[in-house]
Amino acid sequence: MAAPTRVKLLAGGAMAVAVAATALLLTIPPRGVAAPESPDVAADRAERELPALGVPWGKVRGWERVRDGWTVSWQPAHGMWLVRAWVPDGPRAIRWRIEAASWLPGVRLSARAARALVGPEFGLLQPRERLGRRDWLVSDTRLLGALPAGGDLPADPYRRQVGLEAMLMGLLVAGAAVRHLVPGSASRGWRHALSWAGLVLLPLMPWLAALARPVFQAGVRPWVAELAFGGAATILLGALLFAARRFPAIAGTPPVAWLAAAVAAGVLAGRLEPGGWLVSVAGLPLRLPALASIAVIAGWLAGLAADGLRELLRFTVASRPVVLAALAVGSVMFAGSWLAVAVAIVAAAAVERGQGTWITTAVVWGWVIGSLLALAEWEAGLRDAFVLLLVGAGVVAVTTLASLRAGSPPGEEAQA
Amino acid sequence: MERLGYQPIGEPAAGFEGDQELAWALERARPGPGGVGLARGEGGALRWRVVFPGGGEVQVTVDGLVWSLRRPVPSAPGPDLFPSLARARVEAAVAAAVPDPAAWRLVRAQSWREGGHTWERAWFVGGPGPLPSGWRRELELEMAGSTVLSWRRSVHPLGTDLGVVTGRMAELRLLRRPAMLGLAILVVGVLVAGAEAVAYRESVAPMRGIAYGLVTAFAGSFAADSLTAAPVQGVVLALVVAVLPVWTDLPRPRLRLGPAAGVALAGVTLVGRAVILGTGGWAPVTSPVAADMGVGRLLAESWVPALVEEPLLRGALPALAAPVVGWWGAALLAAPVGALLHPVPSVPVLASIGLELVLQAGLAVVARFAGVGGAVLARGTYEALVRRASFPVGSEWDRVALLGVAVGTILLLWPRRRE
Repeated sequence: MAAPTRVKLLAGGAMAVAVAATALLLTIPPRGVAAPESPDVAADRAERELPALGVPWGKVRGWERVRDGWTVSWQPAHGMWLVRAWVPDGPRAIRWRIEAASWLPGVRLSARAARALVGPEFGLLQPRERLGRRDWLVSDTRLLGALPAGGDLPADPYRRQVGLEAMLMGLLVAGAAVRHLVPGSASRGWRHALSWAGLVLLPLMPWLAALARPVFQAGVRPWVAELAFGGAATILLGALLFAARRFPAIAGTPPVAWLAAAVAAGVLAGRLEPGGWLVSVAGLPLRLPALASIAVIAGWLAGLAADGLRELLRFTVASRPVVLAALAVGSVMFAGSWLAVAVAIVAAAAVERGQGTWITTAVVWGWVIGSLLALAEWEAGLRDAFVLLLVGAGVVAVTTLASLRAGSPPGEEAQA
Repeated sequence: MERLGYQPIGEPAAGFEGDQELAWALERARPGPGGVGLARGEGGALRWRVVFPGGGEVQVTVDGLVWSLRRPVPSAPGPDLFPSLARARVEAAVAAAVPDPAAWRLVRAQSWREGGHTWERAWFVGGPGPLPSGWRRELELEMAGSTVLSWRRSVHPLGTDLGVVTGRMAELRLLRRPAMLGLAILVVGVLVAGAEAVAYRESVAPMRGIAYGLVTAFAGSFAADSLTAAPVQGVVLALVVAVLPVWTDLPRPRLRLGPAAGVALAGVTLVGRAVILGTGGWAPVTSPVAADMGVGRLLAESWVPALVEEPLLRGALPALAAPVVGWWGAALLAAPVGALLHPVPSVPVLASIGLELVLQAGLAVVARFAGVGGAVLARGTYEALVRRASFPVGSEWDRVALLGVAVGTILLLWPRRRE
């Protein structure tokens, strides 16, 4: 092994150990409240403690982590109503809500119910029969008569970072153009990895639909909602597989120490800015293949964006390290929930083309692990985080061994 | 209004109001032309609202039944009704509002004093009448003094009929989202292809693209209810059409085949809906009710889907995906995306999606033999013929609906250029 390569490996190894130690040992307060129990346990508790509401609830259709509790949805097969409950961590009271299709005769508001809602001080209530609902005119105001029952459920304020998302989309398009216009030696391994990730996710669609809460609506049968989600996911996966063929990742492997450092950086990013939706994925029965596939796909996409960034920075040859360092600092300060993705893209833009996808996938893989460590505190969730860590380490070890057997240490293939 | 003793002043403004759920619920309750007739008449789903500038407003169904009426309060509405006679007078006033007063009975009444007059308001129930069993007609009538000021009819559908239609419509709205996602991904693909074409200095058609984009945006501004959609569609289509020459594998356009294929596809739709009805399912006879009634609206609503969707689904998608799955594979990939964009509710819900799939496959065949241009003409002709039933009777509507057929006839009769 050449001396400079050995120095790089040693530096990378030292950095990996330092970052991993920071990620795993330091007590970092995560952004978000850790879930002490799985959504299954929350659903059982709601079914045990809440009143039956006079209607069959149907099956559990989905869940979502909201603040310090789980919001769980139930819907019968006919889809005419949807029961949702927010089950907080600990012994606090559960909040629930039932929504019914507006055309159900039972949701027409009676005079008694209308009077209870507007208060006794109003004298005359005039009914207005509408299509599928009954409104009540109360002096100058109108009470709409198809009301959901129960209280309002808490919701997480959704903070979109439109500028950052648009920038990432632009980098993806730039990356696709670069891979097509400046082709390199395409990696069959990455194409196969992406194909396998897609093929693993496809049969998991019926379970993954549980994470798409907005598709379940009162008046829409759950199988149609699942079909809509499955259709969208299949189209997306199809487009990804097409992109993997059309814009393939470039062959090459980075030094193993850099990969370890990338995974450790991802774990640190996950503990600082965990992906809140990943804790919902951890509630699935077949969570391990789902998490692994998501990490591979997200890593590949980040690699594509990194190729775009690298090419865009090509004109800044002299100041490239400074620009990359500034982007890295900016990512840590402003990327918010996109921290891991932004760090992965910047890190991958700093290395050779053939090593970029490896680096981004390693960071995203680490981010998944870090997110689970930060937010999923139940036994199965933590166990899966460590299994993912082991799987990642195994992949790195196998790749390293394969490269060593082939006669060149990892990291040299792309430089050759 | 004159019968009520009021002479309206000024030139009235008329606007169309359509209640899509009610119209299709009537068709669901009475499948076939019977339901369509009810939607246009006794069901009150399709109405004109006529507003007089000097006061007063009338709603008339498209078959000519007065659905609601309101006149201004006169300064002297006549003597107040004596309480013991009020009920009889109010019941007698129903004869002015409905053609079958004997079928209506008073269910509730109230009276109050306001502005120096006694006001009476009464609610009547008319049973199903000509409506399907389980449906109910209602009427609210208002009098001031001894003058009838207004009445308003309403219809109560049977929960099952309304639920089936409304539920299916909600489901199809949800199923439309994956198709929109597919189109968005396709647009990104076209963007990348455009970047490649510029980088490799390939032959593109920018002027043709701009012209097509302008036509699409202009037509879209008549069809869309929000004006933001039309310019976006125009820009996207300008890009697609400009890039089309890059994809040299696309079949050459043979426009003369398009309109004939469109007529055939319209026939397939009618037969398909008849088959669904005949096999115990249900599908509406009429297309979605337009938000506005006008010849321009029919023209735009028929041709905008053709101008927007065909270049994407029959041009860009096959061109982009053909290297991976072949032309036919790519064309058939477009079929499910197109099938989810505009299906009408049906029982079972997959029946109308299946019918749309057949039509999309037909358009793929048209695109194979007549190119993207032929597919645009076929789709426009087909849409105009199928949508015609949702618009009023009249020769100008017929002319617009037959525009594609006329173009097709001219193209077929046009002497062929010798090669």
